Amino acid sequence: MSLIDDFLARWREYRAPGYYEEFDYHWTMTVDLDRCTGCEACVTACQAENNTPIVGEEAIARGRHMQWMRIERYWEGEYPDVKLRAIPMFCQHCDAAPCETVCPVSATYHNQDGLNAQIYNRCIGTRSCAVYCPYEVRYFNYNNHHWDAPLEQQLNPDVSVREKGVMEKCTFCIQRIRQAKDAAKDDGRRRVQDGEVQPACVQTCPTEALVFGDRKDPESGVSQMLGNERAYTVLEELNTDPSVVYLKKVEADA
Amino acid sequence: MGVSIVPTLRVLKPAAMMVAVGFVGLLIGYFANAAFFPGTTPVQPIEFSHAVHAGDYEIPCLYCHTEARRSPSAGVPSVNKCMGCHAIVATDSPLIREVARYYENNEPIPWVKIHDLPDFVHFPHKRHVAAGLECQECHGPVETMDRVTRMAPNEMGQCLTCHRDSEVEHGIDCLTCHK
Amino acid sequence: MPNVDRRHFLKLVGAGGVGAGAGFMLSESRKHPVEHLVPYPVPPEEFSPGIATWYNSVCSMCSAGCGISVRTREGRAKKIEGNPAHPVSQGRLCALGQSGLQALYNPDRIAGPLVRAGRRGELEFDPTTWEESLAELANQLELMRTAGRGGGVALLSGGVRGHLASLLELFMGWLGSDRLLHYDFNHPATLYAANERFFGESELPYYDIENSRYVLSFGADFIGHWLSPVHHGLGFGRSRQARDGIRGRFVQIEPRMSLTGAAADEWIAASPGTEGILALGIARRIVDQGGYQGEDLDAWQAALDAYAPESVAEQTGVAADTVARLADSFAETQPGLAIGGGATGNHSNGVDALVAVNALNHLVGNIGVEGGVIFNPPPAFGPTASRQASLARMLELAEDARAGRIELLIVSNANPVFNLPEAAGFAEALAEIPQIVSLSSFLDETTAQADLILPSNTYLESWGDDTPAPGVGFRVGAVSQPVVEPLYDTRATGDIVLELAHRMGLDLAFPWPNMEEYLKYSWREVWSSGTPDPAIPDFDTFWTSVVRAGVWGDDTRAPSGEFAPGANVVEGIGVAAPEFAGAEGEYPFALHPYLSNALHDGRGANLPWMQELPDALTGVVYGTWVEVNPVTAEQLGVQEGDVVAIESPAGSIEAPVLVYPAIMPGVVAMPIGQGHEQYGRYAHEHGVNPINVLAAQTEPDTGALAWAATRVRLVPTGGREDLVKVSGEARELGREIVQIAAVGAGAGAGGAANARLNSIPITVVNT
Repeated sequence: MSLIDDFLARWREYRAPGYYEEFDYHWTMTVDLDRCTGCEACVTACQAENNTPIVGEEAIARGRHMQWMRIERYWEGEYPDVKLRAIPMFCQHCDAAPCETVCPVSATYHNQDGLNAQIYNRCIGTRSCAVYCPYEVRYFNYNNHHWDAPLEQQLNPDVSVREKGVMEKCTFCIQRIRQAKDAAKDDGRRRVQDGEVQPACVQTCPTEALVFGDRKDPESGVSQMLGNERAYTVLEELNTDPSVVYLKKVEADA
Repeated sequence: MGVSIVPTLRVLKPAAMMVAVGFVGLLIGYFANAAFFPGTTPVQPIEFSHAVHAGDYEIPCLYCHTEARRSPSAGVPSVNKCMGCHAIVATDSPLIREVARYYENNEPIPWVKIHDLPDFVHFPHKRHVAAGLECQECHGPVETMDRVTRMAPNEMGQCLTCHRDSEVEHGIDCLTCHK
Repeated sequence: MPNVDRRHFLKLVGAGGVGAGAGFMLSESRKHPVEHLVPYPVPPEEFSPGIATWYNSVCSMCSAGCGISVRTREGRAKKIEGNPAHPVSQGRLCALGQSGLQALYNPDRIAGPLVRAGRRGELEFDPTTWEESLAELANQLELMRTAGRGGGVALLSGGVRGHLASLLELFMGWLGSDRLLHYDFNHPATLYAANERFFGESELPYYDIENSRYVLSFGADFIGHWLSPVHHGLGFGRSRQARDGIRGRFVQIEPRMSLTGAAADEWIAASPGTEGILALGIARRIVDQGGYQGEDLDAWQAALDAYAPESVAEQTGVAADTVARLADSFAETQPGLAIGGGATGNHSNGVDALVAVNALNHLVGNIGVEGGVIFNPPPAFGPTASRQASLARMLELAEDARAGRIELLIVSNANPVFNLPEAAGFAEALAEIPQIVSLSSFLDETTAQADLILPSNTYLESWGDDTPAPGVGFRVGAVSQPVVEPLYDTRATGDIVLELAHRMGLDLAFPWPNMEEYLKYSWREVWSSGTPDPAIPDFDTFWTSVVRAGVWGDDTRAPSGEFAPGANVVEGIGVAAPEFAGAEGEYPFALHPYLSNALHDGRGANLPWMQELPDALTGVVYGTWVEVNPVTAEQLGVQEGDVVAIESPAGSIEAPVLVYPAIMPGVVAMPIGQGHEQYGRYAHEHGVNPINVLAAQTEPDTGALAWAATRVRLVPTGGREDLVKVSGEARELGREIVQIAAVGAGAGAGGAANARLNSIPITVVNT
């Protein structure tokens, strides 16, 4: 019984409000759905930055696409009163992430910056995390992937190329966060300032729908966005406490 | 009346001997390889001696490995850098003549990598140099080696021990090193 | 062991040997594979290993001219971002622009000069050298020039601007040929013509979406591929949520919901080709309601007389009260902006329709004001006369070819065999040209017909410059620099032209050794045209700073004066009913082709990222489909994945059906981009090319291809082809994933925050 008690005690600790408060940063992204057009610039930016493989038509037909960022599209109504609502969906970096509790080898865990980490060479490929993830944003490498030469020359040296049998997902561009912290240290600063780090998707978004930053800094752009009355989290009823906050789309007849 | 296994053993004896001899051969082969062709001490295309440069002449490591100060990778000096000194120094040594030949042909010297980390590891030399670490702490006493040997295993335990001991901020968070 | 016999001894020796060998190999296999550290013989100054270097340049994936910053590591390009200092992209970039890296590192690039070995189109080429092929080509050109037959040379390029365009102009001028043409499927020829007619301006104006409060878009997919999508995206985002208390509204009018239509507050389907009539219906309502008080009110009333609400409603299929509501909102909400393009401009009445849209802007006083239409100054450099070829001009070229008036055709990064309707007969005309030289980087359909291929560098390996069109309301010039060394034995287009000129003995006319020097020479003029800056004492400092920044120019929009259209312009306003190729009885559906979000006009089809980028509205990858309304699908008895033949008077293709909820029942839509026969492993054998069934119908004023003016019928073939999709359930089913707020909620907040996030710290190093 003590094992279960221990587990429950830790679980309560993680779930206690303010558990993550003591840490340095709380990286957060906001997505303004009233700005997002679903143009998918973010999808390609992510693929280019994070060495996401080209999987081929057949793999996609089997549901094995690997893009960490996707645009979900939902139709509402019938012709002629029909609307298409698009929403970018990627790892929500939940503070109470269901995926983290099921990994038998702790290959996925929450770190002190509020990131949901995935350690590739620790992962043994049980895929439990993908089953538990309510947002379906974890992607499994069913194959070793191949880049026809010389396409591999584009690969980002700051990001691992993942092998067959491991799970992968959005990292909030951890390599860029790391680099920003590094630059801050070089300047003798303790903290990364607002705007110094942007994941690839945020940097490229043509409509500026995505904002990224540290929620702990009350002056940061993302903190200001969080105060917006349109802010909500997807599947809030699951209490996953995502670090990705959406701003409601505005519709005239709503 | 009991059953004896002795007749069986007698029949198996030649086979057992062969296995035993084979196993001894295996051990000899394994260690012979390790002794004569050590992976940790590869032969370089040019027998460059750190003992001479860093030891006898006390040239600082960062004089040649300049990038270590400002880049994640320490880098190896270009043949151009070698010739910076050797255009004047020891020009008639056969090894230097070989270096000069690379230089004249505008070819790089294909040095064999000794200290290597897996591709999933983010190891910035810059940070460690800035923290005041001596190169020798990971690379061993290179200034005493004619042919460089990999002394440290460069495995995760080593990283974690040091990160723990020196109380690196978030030093044992996976994402600090894993990319 | 005394009883070991010889035979047994040998066995033991064998066992020992095998064991030792196995041990040796085991030890070997446990060793780290040997890796080499290969430093540069002489370290390059621009980069250090492990540290990224950024170069500013210009994107060439479409004609918008976004500034880019390319991140390189160890001499290889890793990532393209928007250049934060460039006023068009402002640090942002679209999906196609991002994937320029895959054009650079494409496995199907032509690696060196090739000369045809087999028969034309059989794709048998032998490698040749630049020396040999350039000498031969220059010799041939010089012979033609001195014999006065230089006019027999035609040069067909993709959309080029800046000094490369000037260089081509100069080169063809020296040859004595007027057959210098640029062909770009997406070139808005009718928009240029409509603006010329209405505004008397030959430049595209700046559409100030950012500061507008009400955008009325007639068919312009401005977030997709219309003019300058990244800049429009910025404007759209800021018009929506960057102003305190103000949220810009926008209405999209088009027969099939595009990416832009999906982002609009209201999507209105008007019958294909009647958008201009709708615009005039709105105009009439504005005039009738007293929204226009100009001196020429009478003329307007007369011109708009025929566009009474009932008649407009009948022709367009848009209810009369909707027309009235749009008119009233547009007139009330200032500043507003009406824009037109896409299918609206590429119909039989395209120019008239776009003039009608311009008229709307004039009637409510949105011309020359912030948030409306702002005129652009002439480009800072580059040729003034447009060489953009319409379909009519291309047909003329084909006719010249058939008549034997063209001896030599040079094609440079244009693919007319793919981008012109088969009915235009361009591919057949090519067969009549004695020699075809291609400067393309890829073996596309047109290059496959070439006799000599002199492969050019990609834009990431070339020097160049650009003046974005449309501009941003003030002068902008941008320099593109090579960000990596050329990968293969290829040369920049400008360098090829200069080399040819030199070998022809035209050194005096072309005194520059290469494109870089030509640019530097030409930019001296740009430098002297600017206001003197004490911080920039000489040209070299200026040039270095421009190359470093990637962009040069002003930063404020000068107010433009009063505008009034000429009396004859007002008199001539009117939009005729659209004319289609194909009778309605025989061909019941209007075909609405559109540029694929990822593949553009097909140029993106060889980029694997773009092939795997789910279509923005349907989620389909790697294919072509035909979109039909659910009601139409039911009438035809087809479901998603049923293959139908799309038959037009000009031809027939087959594609699977996709039931699309947001398309008019009488219209079927198809994405352009797939259906390549050549163009590399990623483009090859995916989908079909809807351009092939378009009739060679032109817009009468400009001769532009009226690509929205073909009718088709759908004939189920009984075949099945499952569409490969990256998408789940098409409806939310009460999950409230995309939540909706009422107008006014949380508007405006976050604008300041975003403005701050625009600046990205980037280290820029120039060569």
